[in-house]
Order: sequence, then C-alpha cells, then structure tokens
Amino acid sequence: MVEAKAERRVPYLLDFYPLQGEEHTRIHPFFQHLQEGRLTTTRCTACGEVLWQPRVVCPHCNADEMEWVDLPQVGEIFAFTSVQAGAPKGMEEDLPFVVGIVTLKGTDMQILARIEGDEESLEIGQPVRVTVERLADGRVWFRFRTVEA
Amino acid sequence: MVGTGLTHWGVRKATLKELAQEAGKALFDDVDNLPKAEVDSLFVGTALAERLAFQSYVAPMVAEQLGIHPTRMLARTELACVSGQLAMKMAYMAIATGLSDIAAVVGVEKMNLPDMAETQASLAAILDREWEGVAGMTAPPYFAMVAQRHMYEYGTTREQLGLVSVKNHRFSATNPYAHFPKEVSLDQVLNSPMVSTPLRLLDSSGITDGAAAVMLAGEDRAREFTDTPVYIEGAGQAATGNLTVNLPSLTEWPHMRRAVRDALSMAGVTIQDMDLAEVHDCFSISEIIEYEELGLAEKGKGGQFIEEGQSEIGGQLPMNTRGGLLGCGHPLGATGVAQVVEVVQQFTGQVPQERYVGGTWALTHNLSGNANNHSVLVLHRDS
Repeated sequence: MVEAKAERRVPYLLDFYPLQGEEHTRIHPFFQHLQEGRLTTTRCTACGEVLWQPRVVCPHCNADEMEWVDLPQVGEIFAFTSVQAGAPKGMEEDLPFVVGIVTLKGTDMQILARIEGDEESLEIGQPVRVTVERLADGRVWFRFRTVEA
Repeated sequence: MVGTGLTHWGVRKATLKELAQEAGKALFDDVDNLPKAEVDSLFVGTALAERLAFQSYVAPMVAEQLGIHPTRMLARTELACVSGQLAMKMAYMAIATGLSDIAAVVGVEKMNLPDMAETQASLAAILDREWEGVAGMTAPPYFAMVAQRHMYEYGTTREQLGLVSVKNHRFSATNPYAHFPKEVSLDQVLNSPMVSTPLRLLDSSGITDGAAAVMLAGEDRAREFTDTPVYIEGAGQAATGNLTVNLPSLTEWPHMRRAVRDALSMAGVTIQDMDLAEVHDCFSISEIIEYEELGLAEKGKGGQFIEEGQSEIGGQLPMNTRGGLLGCGHPLGATGVAQVVEVVQQFTGQVPQERYVGGTWALTHNLSGNANNHSVLVLHRDS
C-alpha cells in the first residue's frame, strides 16, 4: 500500500482522481474491489471479451451485460519513464516519479500506472505487483511496485 | 489557398483574442484585395480554449476579433494537436461541396499561464484523464516510452534523436516568427535538462502562444486574389482510441501509414513526388518514426535517415524547413495551419534563402494525443 504524500486541494476540474461512489459512476465496484486490494475489470457476458478500462457497454459486440473479473496482480514492465519536469497541478511535489506500462502476467492486457521506485533500478521485463494508493479523502487508485522474480 | 498570416510565436504578452486579431491582420494584409464582406465562412482550430483561456464558443469570438460576419459556415474544431489541420480540412470540404466560396481559417492557442502546472494538467486531459492522466501521464512521458521502446527494439541512439532537434533549430534560426529562432549543437541537446527519460528539453516542442491563418477560395475565384494559388489535392486521416495501453504498438504508427497513403492516392502522386514535407515533430523521436511511416526509411532505420542527412535540404525529402514544432514551438491549434503557411511561402518564394526549397508538391502531417490519430494534407502549386 502507498499513502499519498499530502492531501491534494484542487478544484474538481483539476482533480485527476475520478469520483468513485455509486452516485457518481456505474463502475463503482471497480473502486470497492480496489479498496479490498483487488484489481478487477469487466468481462462482457455475451462475447467474453475482457475489457480495459471497465465498461458498461461492450465495444466489440454492443452488449451491456458485464461481470467483474479479477486481473492478475503481477506483471512485467513493458516500458517506463522517469518524469522529471512538467508535472500537472497537484503532482508537482511527486517529482520525480516513474510512469510505466505493465503487461499483466499470462495475458496480453497492459495497464498504465505509476511504478514505485527509482528509475535507475528499473528495467524492461522486470516483474512488478499491484499496490493500492490511498488518498487522504478515502479514495483509492493503483500503482505497481517491483518484486523479486 | 490565396493568402496566409502568422503571428510571432513564443511566451507572448498577449491574450487568445489578441493573438487572433494579430493573425487576422496578417492575413488581411496579405490578401489586401479581398474585402472582409466576401469571406462567407470561418473555421477556428483551437484545442484547449476552455481550459487555458476560460472561454468556450470560440468561433464567434474569433469572428468578432477579425471583423468578419460569416453567412455560410462558422465552426470551431477541436482535435488536440490536429485541431488546426482539421480546420483547414473543414474549410476545404466547405468549398469543395459548394457550402462556401471563400473561407478563412485561424489556428490559435494561448498556453502560457501564470501557473504552468495548470497548463500541464489541461495537457494531461488530452490523454484519458481518468485512467492515464491520473498517473501523471502527459505527452512527454508517452513519447519518452516510445523513444525507450524504439531504442530497445531497433538500437536507435540518443545522438540520433538529438540530430532531429539540431536540424530543426537550424531551420528555426532563419524564422523570425519562431519561439526558438536560434541554432543548437548536439552537445546542447544532450545536456539540456531532462524532462522525461530519455527525452530532454531540446527533444521537446515548446509550450507556446501563437496563431496562424490561411484564406481559402474556390478554384473559380482563387486567381482574383493571387497569381500563385496553392491547392489542396489530397487529404487522409486515420485513428484509433486514446487509451495508450490499447494502442497496437508504441513504435509503429499504422494510422499514419494509412493517412499518408490515402492522401497521396487522392492526389494521384507518390511520396517521391513531394518536394518538401512538414511533419509533426512534437518530440525528436516523433520525426524519426515519421521517416519510417512515410515509407522513406525502413522500420527501425529512422535514426540512420537523419544521420545521413536525408531530411535536410538536398536530402531525399527536406522536412520541417520552418523549424518544426521543436524550433517554432507548438501552440496546439495553430501548428497545423502554420505548416500550411510554410508550404505556401515555400512555393511562392517568400522564405529566406537559407531554407528555400520551392517546389510544387508538399505534404503536411499532424498527429494528436498519444499518436492515436494522424492527419495528412497534400498541397500543390501549378508549375
């Protein structure tokens, strides 16, 4: 788990983190699952496609019956970069930070997120695991951190 | 096209409205035999006016700044970095379908704000803000990962990336309208501040205020206003969704190949017929991949193409003679229009000798977002 560094006081239209409650979004179970430490997404019950990001309508077959499935918690780094300048509002104090694309184990699904740790110690192909980022206001997001192979 | 106009680009002590006025003045000074009342349509390309100038409904506002009263079509186009070229394309469509006889195009963006972190936040919203922007993704980290993969897969070198910036700054040094009108050495590129590894400041286009404008008229009327009209002969566009992780590849841009192919084929020409090209060098790596997707360099050999000087004047195809996005800066909505201005000025001999190519055929290319959308125009002047 990662604690966000400080409470982020920004206007709603500069707040990157989505509103997560049932009153705001139809994919609120994603955030409930993440609160429990599970990374999940939707699978279309009609055509079986596993979709990222979670959807309410399947872009492949147009069906709108979805079920929640757990995604692998581990994967390998496909690409990454250390951001050293030009952070968006609210993220200035995070600099430098690493953003990367991770291929989830046993799938061809890729997910983009922060990767915890020093860029010097990272390489393409390195194994990583999902970790939950907790915001001071109770919302959650996800990052990856490195693990032993 | 029967006329063009440019403002100075840079960190301007001027608002969006003032930039639009300046571009309008330059345009109407250039086509001084065209009464404003004859301009029946206006297309305004601007990407982030709501966020960077707190202003929606931009097209009528720009009409007011220019003093024109459209009687046929009025629209604003927003497609991030392709906004300006899209405005060009809509003006072309309006004239080709008979909906307009004479149409003005203005591309404009005001990007420098008192708090640049706000600008960066708005730029992050060009990517999928909820799922990727939230991680701190903006354009530099995306193109940085593209560069990392291109280096990893094909052995492209840091020096090869730097050479793109050296070339484009050599051209922008001849361009008094550019944000960065001065040459840089390879050493300066390689030692400039890191932005997002492995890309440095001089691998990156600037955050720039500026505007550009073009006047279009139908073929039947163009010669009333100029002896040297430039024609849009081809257009192509191809795109996919904007989640980075759902792109087909980081290092291959198949949508660019498709847009280039369609635009050239509509014009009935090949890439070998082009005399010059303006391509979207938002970052040094972009131009290297563009050499490959234009079909001029083999996949993975874009780095060698710049090393051999093939995109210089005298090479296979001179590219970004105005200085590109790296040298001129990148006011999102203005860039695609300014590229067309460069082509018109090249064709009509209005550029300094140091960057003069002339010619009769040119291609302009823009990409937007995480290179998930590509748009191309093919331009021609009768010889």
